[in-house]
Amino acid sequence: MSQQTLADKVGVTRQTIFAIEKDKYSPSLEVAFKISNVFKAPLEEVFNYE
Amino acid sequence: MDYSFKEKSIIASLGVTLLIFGWYLYGAFSNLSLNPELPGFVEVIILIVWVAVLEILIQGILAKRNKSQLEDERDRLIVKTSYRYGYWFLSACIWFLMIQILLDAWFDHLPVLTTPNAMFHLLLLFFVLAEVTNFITQLYYYRKGI
Repeated sequence: MSQQTLADKVGVTRQTIFAIEKDKYSPSLEVAFKISNVFKAPLEEVFNYE
Repeated sequence: MDYSFKEKSIIASLGVTLLIFGWYLYGAFSNLSLNPELPGFVEVIILIVWVAVLEILIQGILAKRNKSQLEDERDRLIVKTSYRYGYWFLSACIWFLMIQILLDAWFDHLPVLTTPNAMFHLLLLFFVLAEVTNFITQLYYYRKGI
């Protein structure tokens, strides 16, 4: 899935998806849940806290 | 270097602010001792109109050339944080000016910038610098992450 497709589904900009991937931005819980919903995976599978 | 629409927009605003206000303030502070009175009202209005017209033109060109984006939570967080830094900077400058006024009241003929013209332009300079701080902080967070 492209960054733009994910961004459109979640309702954020492509730059925000890029920033999340590069660990330059920690999304809100709402966005984090939306991303995990798109991938149909639990939150802890998509994100991890270091 | 690849810049997003938001970054280009901030760089354009920063450029316009620095160019117009920088040019005006340079002239004003160069002739400060020659003209202790307040600047003309029309002069300041023309300055603001120049900034507004240039901003509209440049932002319009940018919006046509780039795919405009919606603002999301990251953009709002960056703007909010950057405004806080701009506010802190402006507060520090206002304190500096207040101390200047006090010093001028306590010590006669102290070479401080408290004529009406100088005060006006110092305040304008501080507002511009606070805005520049805001723009630079936004650019920093867009590049380095928040």
